This record gives sequence, structure tokens and C-alpha cells, in this order.
Amino acid sequence: MSMKNPLILTPVFLLVVLFAGCGGDDQDQASGKMVRYLSLGAKVRGMDPMDIGDTTSSSVASQIFESLYQYHYLKRPYELIPCLAEDFPTGEDQLTYTFKLRPGVVFADDPCFTATQGKGRQLVAADFIYAWKRIADVKNISKNWWIFEDHIVGLDEFRDYTGRLKAGENVDYMRPVEGLQAPDDFTLVVTLKRPWPQILYLLAHLPTAPVAREAVQYYGKSIHNHPVGTGPYMLKDWKRGNKIVMVRNPRFRQEFYPVEGSPGDREAGLLEDAGKVLPFVDEARWQVVEEDQPRWLIFMRGQLDASGIPKDFYNRAIDPSRQLRSEMKDKGIRLQIFRDPSTYWYGFNMEDPVVGTNKPLRQAMSMAINRPEYVEIFTNNRAEVAQGVIPPLFKEYDPEVINPNCQYNPERARELLKEAVEVHGGPLPTITISTPGTDTLSRQMGEYVTLAMDNIGLKVKIDYMDWPSFQDRIKTKSSQVFQMGWVADYPDPENFMQLFYSKNVSPGPNNFNYRNQAFDTLYEKAKAMPDSNERRRIYHQMENIIRDDCPAIFLVHGVAFVLHYNWLKNYKPHVFGYGLIKYQRIDVAARQKSVGR
Amino acid sequence: MVSYIIRRLLYAIPTILGVLLITFILFNLIPGDPSYDIAGKSASAETIAEIRRELGFDKPRFLDTEALSQGRIAAAFDSQFFNHFRNTLTLNFPRSLTSHEPIWDEIKSRAPASLTLAAPMFIGLIATSIAIALVVAFARGSWVDTILVFICVVGMSIPMLSYILFGQHYLAYELGWFPILGYESGMQAFKYIALPCLLGIASGLGSYVRFYRTVMLDEMRSDYVRTAFAKGLSSPRVLFKHVLKNAMIPIITTLVLSIPFLFLGSLLLERFFSIPGMGSYFLDAFNSRDFPVINAMVFTTSLLYVLGQLVTDICYALVDPRISLR
Repeated sequence: MSMKNPLILTPVFLLVVLFAGCGGDDQDQASGKMVRYLSLGAKVRGMDPMDIGDTTSSSVASQIFESLYQYHYLKRPYELIPCLAEDFPTGEDQLTYTFKLRPGVVFADDPCFTATQGKGRQLVAADFIYAWKRIADVKNISKNWWIFEDHIVGLDEFRDYTGRLKAGENVDYMRPVEGLQAPDDFTLVVTLKRPWPQILYLLAHLPTAPVAREAVQYYGKSIHNHPVGTGPYMLKDWKRGNKIVMVRNPRFRQEFYPVEGSPGDREAGLLEDAGKVLPFVDEARWQVVEEDQPRWLIFMRGQLDASGIPKDFYNRAIDPSRQLRSEMKDKGIRLQIFRDPSTYWYGFNMEDPVVGTNKPLRQAMSMAINRPEYVEIFTNNRAEVAQGVIPPLFKEYDPEVINPNCQYNPERARELLKEAVEVHGGPLPTITISTPGTDTLSRQMGEYVTLAMDNIGLKVKIDYMDWPSFQDRIKTKSSQVFQMGWVADYPDPENFMQLFYSKNVSPGPNNFNYRNQAFDTLYEKAKAMPDSNERRRIYHQMENIIRDDCPAIFLVHGVAFVLHYNWLKNYKPHVFGYGLIKYQRIDVAARQKSVGR
Repeated sequence: MVSYIIRRLLYAIPTILGVLLITFILFNLIPGDPSYDIAGKSASAETIAEIRRELGFDKPRFLDTEALSQGRIAAAFDSQFFNHFRNTLTLNFPRSLTSHEPIWDEIKSRAPASLTLAAPMFIGLIATSIAIALVVAFARGSWVDTILVFICVVGMSIPMLSYILFGQHYLAYELGWFPILGYESGMQAFKYIALPCLLGIASGLGSYVRFYRTVMLDEMRSDYVRTAFAKGLSSPRVLFKHVLKNAMIPIITTLVLSIPFLFLGSLLLERFFSIPGMGSYFLDAFNSRDFPVINAMVFTTSLLYVLGQLVTDICYALVDPRISLR
């Protein structure tokens, strides 16, 4: 039987023609407006500072909200400078801090300011107290109580009080907290329970930004959709899971581009806008792109100003000498390489009866891994071999130290394994390694570690799982060995050392469940000390204890490679700072010439 | 027919209750406590315990026997299990644990995006595959049949991800025929859904064409088809008037029962093309153990599925006079 009627295929042709006719550029014409195009690798969960605990939400909301302090955009090592504070705090002891607020700071205009017909009002010290009480309020289930927990006089009691109430609406925010006082509109006095030298770093943290009470009352539970801050930008449009658009806040206070930077900044053109009024960019647009390929493609088409390099596209962008390929340079793309404040490891659960009590076993497993090879295979050489927990970015990092447990030494590992058998009192069982990922890369890493352990005569089993299952495993102390890492929140090694403090065992941040009296004593001492050579010496001692006890197989510290087009001016990567778009500028003519717009 | 519909709706009640029970059991079996995520990475054990208490995770799982023994009936039933049933059946879904958005608001804002992609894709897929299946069935045994079946088998063997990676790279990036990604509501949406829609159709054609081909061939071998040709009816008339009509039962079954799942969106297409639909919402909810969202989605889908089954049965009676609903 032959085909009699070719018209049967008409629907297919119609569909193709209809859809094919709809192709074209997917971005609006910029028409001279200075627009910064960015991507988000994950969805923004919300824009209420109290509830922001992820880097994606922080990177967006920090364009709207500001804190008392911020990091200098150009200076390295990282340095704090006042933001909403007029200067650094005064105080005769380490327990009382008096902050003077910068005058002339107002909240962005918003309908929530009903008394002033939508005109944003002056920022006052009480706004900080209100914002911090919101974090303390149990009913708000804030992600950021860890910042203030057990630090400010009376704030923990305020939290207890909110916990005793039946409903959130009954919380009295006028209830005084002894350690938070506002003697006048521009003075904030904070009294601590004990010295807390890291306080200024945390007061540069987005969650500590002031929030207008009017906004919270006006928007109620939807406050996370309606950010009202004092920063350089205001939210214009937010389609959840799709895109975010921000526009310049016309009432932003006068702030200027830095007039000094680090060596090399002037030559790199980073001081060409020195002293100019911020911000430069009129509009910032974020597109949510969760997959690597589409993100890479829109970057290559010039629809993003900057991008990381996905693993699968690394060789297309970078040559074997770690230089940008010429075809990328021809497109006007530049490469920035910088260190991350991160460390990655396989951690041991020290409460596990097999690995927790067997130091030779832990050392053997650590020596079994060839870290330089690991770096090459799994990171495209975008990492540095770790000798301990403190990353090279920190000034407390000692480049001279060679940790024998971090050296690839299978012969010594086999000897240690024999000792481990004796310590265990018989043949070692199969060790289970919990891994937070079921993707190809996780499985490749798992295979690699299995082979490395097999090479020294140890059987391991890799247990792949998703992140919530993994968290459950480590927080309930039911893992044996786990793959994890930590990215520092601020440039103080205390942020890493807390991970080994015995009072922080799971479900706290010490997932190793590591307990060492000597370490604890040093931690408590260093935690209360201001930055000094003495404190640096103590941190070295603490790190040496960890290196020797080996509660983790320290693997690598991250190194980031970022690409950006040459039309993006004043672009300098910053690993701690957020709210950086205000410093950046777009050469609109260069962009239009390059991408044909 | 009315009594049949009422009876079927009554049958749906235990089905829905069963779904709720299974959902609750799964929540308790799958490891992962959202409190850890909510508490933040440096949270203390006390903070995590407080959050668990605020979210009601510290309540008795099924029944507070102590309260029951004291005669406090209301308190006895203030358990995770009964709260789960009560909230769901009264459609009183709490807010999402991660976004804090009311779940219905999220569903209302995301379902149109999913449907904008899934509906034309589904209709296109069904229409195209039935059209091709008719051609293939009509030309059975010929080189056209052999080649098309071969292409179908090859098409079925290629994973959806490969279609997406190829289409996005070559059709969108290299040739520039389509936007690489993005989504806008209204008429603009068609610009953005064109490529994912085409890729969805292309990836589904193989299995659909093979299925419909089998259905058509079964009909083509029937006596009434031979009789129709013997009477001198033209091929299109036999195909469209007789074969297609008699093949409608299996087509309706796959068609109507697939409709509720359009609501869930297409996970891969939505992720790769940055379409803010239900697929990525559901995945994110699962990955963060956002149980209120998962519960709302499962409940809504099961309701739609039950309704879909009912509609299927009614359609049977409409297209086949041999079937009557009693």
C-alpha cells in the first residue's frame, strides 16, 4: 500500500514553520542605558536580610541592603571600611561598642512609608535594633541567629521570651534588650557578654542590615518579596525562578569610588573612576540559569558580562598553560584568577567506633590520596593542594608548613594500615564514605577514592545521596567518613576553627564531632583576642593539633577562574564582599560594537 | 451517567486519602530534615531544636497518647499525622519552607509557564505522532514504514538530554534561530517556548509513533477495513473516518491521563531553558525537603488524575456506542 496523501504531514510542517519564525535575540535593546547583565546559578529564595543564608540571595539582596560596614572594593588583604556607620566604633573595653551612624541615609521610597506618602524616611539606630531583634525572634525562624547567639547582653533572653509566646504576632519589639541601646537617632550602643573581636566582620554581613519596621508591618509575611533598603538599587521586577531587575535608587546617599587600591590596580585601569559618584550602572538584570551549557552559551553570545568557566568548557577557554585562548581574547574576553576562602575534605566522624579511635587509619587514608593528581583530574588545576584547614588567602596561612599526612605516600600508608589493624584489634571492616551528590562528577570522585584506598589495601564503599539525606547523616552523627567543605564567611580563621570546637559538635557546625581539650582551650583564648601576632601563633598551634590528630583528609583549597568582557569596567573579584555592582561600569558603546546591538 | 459520575467521585475519596497516607509515610521515611537547612550552616543544636519546635516537627507523629489518657482530646490529635490530613483536606497549605511564599500563589504563577510549554508540546506531539502513525500504518511493509520505524527506534534510544544539548547549541547558539533560554509571559512566551517545544516533540515522537502505529495496524487488519476498501472507499476516507475513530479508545486513554501530568511541567526542558514552571519548583522542593510544597503538588496531581480518569471513561462512552456508563 503506498502513501496516498502527503497532506497528512501538514501539522508537522506548520509547527516547524510557526516556531522557526519566532527566533531572534532574547534581550531588550539597551538603548544607551547602562545595564549590567548577570546570571544566577540558583533561585533567590527571598530578600529579607533576616532570612538570607545562601550566597545567591545574598548576591542579589546586597544591592538593596547595606550594613554598618563593608569591605574595601580594591584593597587586598581584605579590609573593612565604614558603610552605614560613620566610622569605626569607639569603646574603652572590648565589651561596649558605640557606633555613630552616617547622617543623610534614607530608605528607598516605597508605599510602606504611609506617613510620608511613600517617601523613604531617615535611617536611625532603632532600625538596627529592630532588625537584630527580628533575627532573635524564634517565631521568625531566621537562618542567622548563629551570628548573635550568646554574644549580646539580653538578646538571648529576648529570644527565650519569643519562644515562650504562642504566636509571632504577640512579640513585643519594644521590649528592651540591655545590650542594644539607641541613646539618640544616630548612636547605637552594643554591649557584649564577652569580647567578640569578629563583631565588625559580622556587622559587614548582609543579615545584620537595618530593616524599616514600616516595611515589615506593611508587607507582613510577604516582606521577603518587598525589599526596602538604603542601598544603591531598588527592586523593579522579580519573576521567581526566572529573572530579577533592579534600578538605581535615586535617593541613594553620596558614595564615591575608592581613590586607592592594591598594587597593580592603577595599571589594570581599576582607578580610572577614582572619586566618582556611585553607582554607575542604571539597571542590573539577573537571569536564573541553573545549567552550565546555557549559561556558557549566553555568555559567549555576550548576553552576560561575566561568567565562571564550567568544567566541561574549561578546555575551550583556557589553554594548557592556564592562559586564556586567543579566540577568547579576540572576543574581548578577559580572565581573572583568584583564590577562594575555601577548603575541601573527607571528614571523619570522630564518634565512629572504627575511624574515630584509630589515628593510624585516618593518617593512612589521608596519605593514600594523590592530591596533585586529584586537582588535575577533578578541578582542571583550579585548586591548590591543602596542608591544613586554613586556606592560603588568609594571612594566618603558613606556606612553609608541609603536613606529612597530606603527602601522597602509599608505602607509609600501608605501614600505617598495619598499625591500624592492631589498634582495631583485627581486620578492618569496609569503611563507608558519605558523598553529597549522585551526579557523574561525584561518582568519578568516588571511584577515584575507592581506587586510592584499594591501592593501600583498604576497602571503602561510597554512599551517594542528595544533600538533605547527607545533612541528615552528618547531623545525626551516623556517617563514618563524609565529603564536605567550607567557604569562609569572613577573613578570620576563627570561622574555620569553630568547626573543630567541642561545644559545636553535630548538629552544630563541628561535623567531625572532634573533641580535644587542648584545642578547645586555645580556641576559647583566640576567639576573644583581637588580631595580633600572638593570636596568629595560637591559630598555628590549633592547626597543628588538627593536622596531627587528622580528623579530616584535607584535600584542596579552591581557586576561581572568572571570565568577563572588556566592556565591563572596574571588575575586580571579591570573595567576601557583596553589593559590588555599584562600583562597576559598562562601556555601552564597546558592548554594542561587540555584540552588534 | 450522573449516578456513575457520583459513584466514581465517591470512589475517589479513599484514593485521595490513600495518597495522603502514602505521602505522610514517605515524608517520614525519606531522610532529610529541613530544619538543618533553615537553621543555617553555623547553627547550634539549640537553634535547630527551636526551629524543629516552631515547625511542629517535635509533635507526636500519630497521636499524643499522654494527652489522650488525660482526656485532652483536641491536644491528643494535635499530631503531625492529623495536622497533615487536616491542612490538606481543608486546602490550608502552609507556606513554603524555603521561599516562604504561599504555595497556591507559587502554583498559580508557575503553572501557566509549565502549561504554555507543555500544552502545545503535548498537542503537537499527539497530532504529529498520530499523523505519522497513520502514514506508517497505511504504508506498512513498505520502505517508508521500515525507514520511519528505524528512525523511531533511533529516536527512542537518544536521551532527552541529548536533544536538549544539541538543540540549544546548534539551533539556538550556532544558527541563532531561537533564543538560547528565557521566558516572558503573554505572546512573547511563544518566542521562548518554540525550541523547547520542538525538542520535546522530537524526543517523544519515537515512542508515540510506535505506539500509535501498533494501534493503527491492529485496526488496519480488521474486517471492517478490508470491507471498506472492497467497497471502493478512498484511503483517506478509510483512514480518517473508520480507522482513526476505532483507534480512539487507546488514544484517549493516553491522551486524557497524560493531561494531569502537564501540570507538573517538564523538568529538564524547564531547567535548561530557564522556564519558571512547576517542574523546577517540584525538584527544588524535593531537594530541600520542602514537604508542604511536595504535599500540595502530590495532592493536586492526584486530584487531577482522578478527574482525568473520570473524563476518560466519559470520553469512551462518547466515542464508542458499545460502551455505556452505568
